[in-house]
Amino acid sequence: MIVHAASGDTWGIPGPTFLRFYLVATAVVVAIAVYHRIRLVAGANTAGAGPLGAQQLAYLNGGPALAVHAALGGLRGSGAIGVGPDRRLLTTGPAPAGLTPLDQAIHWAAHQRSRARDLPGEQRVRDALDQLRTDLEQRGLLLSPAQRVAVRRWSRVLAALLVLGVVRLFAGLTNGRPVGYLLLTLFAVLAAVLLLWRVRQTTRAGRAALRDKRREHTHLAPGSSPAYATYGAAGAAMGVALYGTASLWALDPGFAEQAEVQRQALGGGWSSGSSGTSSGGSSCGGGSSCGGGGGGCGGGGCGG
Amino acid sequence: MTGLSGIGIGWRPEIAGFVAELPGLRFVEVVAESVPASGPLPPGLAQLRDRAVTVVPHGVRLSLGGAEPVDPARVAHLAAVAQRVDAPLVSDHIAFVRAGGLEAGHLLPLPRSREAVDAVCANVARAQAELPVPIALEPIAAIVDWPDDELDEADFLTEILDRTGALLLLDVANVYANARNRGTDPFALLDRLPLDRVGYAHVAGGAEHGGYYHDTHTDPVPPDVLDLVGALCARRRPPALLLERDGGYPPAADLRAELDALAAAAGFPAVT
Repeated sequence: MIVHAASGDTWGIPGPTFLRFYLVATAVVVAIAVYHRIRLVAGANTAGAGPLGAQQLAYLNGGPALAVHAALGGLRGSGAIGVGPDRRLLTTGPAPAGLTPLDQAIHWAAHQRSRARDLPGEQRVRDALDQLRTDLEQRGLLLSPAQRVAVRRWSRVLAALLVLGVVRLFAGLTNGRPVGYLLLTLFAVLAAVLLLWRVRQTTRAGRAALRDKRREHTHLAPGSSPAYATYGAAGAAMGVALYGTASLWALDPGFAEQAEVQRQALGGGWSSGSSGTSSGGSSCGGGSSCGGGGGGCGGGGCGG
Repeated sequence: MTGLSGIGIGWRPEIAGFVAELPGLRFVEVVAESVPASGPLPPGLAQLRDRAVTVVPHGVRLSLGGAEPVDPARVAHLAAVAQRVDAPLVSDHIAFVRAGGLEAGHLLPLPRSREAVDAVCANVARAQAELPVPIALEPIAAIVDWPDDELDEADFLTEILDRTGALLLLDVANVYANARNRGTDPFALLDRLPLDRVGYAHVAGGAEHGGYYHDTHTDPVPPDVLDLVGALCARRRPPALLLERDGGYPPAADLRAELDALAAAAGFPAVT
């Protein structure tokens, strides 16, 4: 149907025409954004890059904080560190052999009587964490900051469209035009922007690696009440990495309490990330069904 | 006769990761009540089955020594678990865990009377009728004897095994604990037990408290118990011996050393 511009139309564009173009534009942008997101967050196949250690898995699972806790678990499991009545860490002897850079940094910080919660701020610890992060980015398991910006690029375009729609909404309101369908559309676009704005640090390859390791180490799940004395320092570090600091509490409640480690259970699923993406797409579908309503609405100005 | 052979270890979720990495392991025992009759097997157990490791369900709740008939639901569960893990045999205790509808919560010893023998044999026959595989019976430790015992330990067991055709699950640590706590000779008891009926044997650690030796399953296996294993194997070696550890789990190296010591005492190849 052809709608003729009338003098009362906002910006000289009839509501249904605007809405139609607006819906097409947002749908195209959402599609491009989703495509780029899927492509970029896939990550890389890193089968050839060597096995992942507990601290790398912890970083994938819970970021730098969990990597620190995994190292704490390993060092505590081997008896290399303890905690004093003043709640500051302490060392029980020289650093054992075979420590990772993060272990060494934390052992050093414990020797300086650092608190557990201050560890991520210690320069040596930060350097070791950066090293871990860079390695995981190179393996394609974590998104680099540049990649995260790239993932968001089309979300920014969508946000700009949202702003345009909001401006049109207010213009329509001041003009005394009906804006109901535009308002509905804007809610859907807002939801899509919010969903697409969230970018997980971990790539799909990273989450898959984590899932595989969890399957391989089900015996460390808190539900099995793992015998950490038997599994040793490596088991303690892996338990924390895959199942959160709850494992550190199970390993040594006295230490965890005294060192003021937050109890946190991880290991449910990372599926929420991918379903977030797809529900972003489907909320865009909601927007287009609103467009159908706009078309049915016909001659009356339903797009502001 | 059951295909069991060598050194095994009691599978517990707490040490599933340790058990999974024993390269020479050919058999484990699992507490039957901890395995669901349907649904997925505990993950570690499923892996062992994939490796063709034999899994023997070990019941603790049949109450074969009870005066009342065994609970058909418990027998059915044991049978279902045996089928699920493709077990060559199952085992439970000559003891009672419930009486008059009350659950004791742990295994209680029977008086060694003719009446008790009749009750056990009736219950074992009921269980055997429902079980797809042979059952091995394990006598339990008792700190004291009942005052009205008519039979000694060896006669009591021999009578039950002869009448039911069941196998014996001989707990070497129990033999040691009973003898030590009563001041009798464990080697003499070995000489009188029907060793040709042993399906497999249990070995566990214990500790002394208050003048009594307790079969705790949470302490290391003492050298005396390993000596008794050696004496048993010198008389007639059981087809298989199993290390039971139920808590106080030590570092992996210590647990491996215990398995190696057991293998050496029995003359079986090491599983570690």
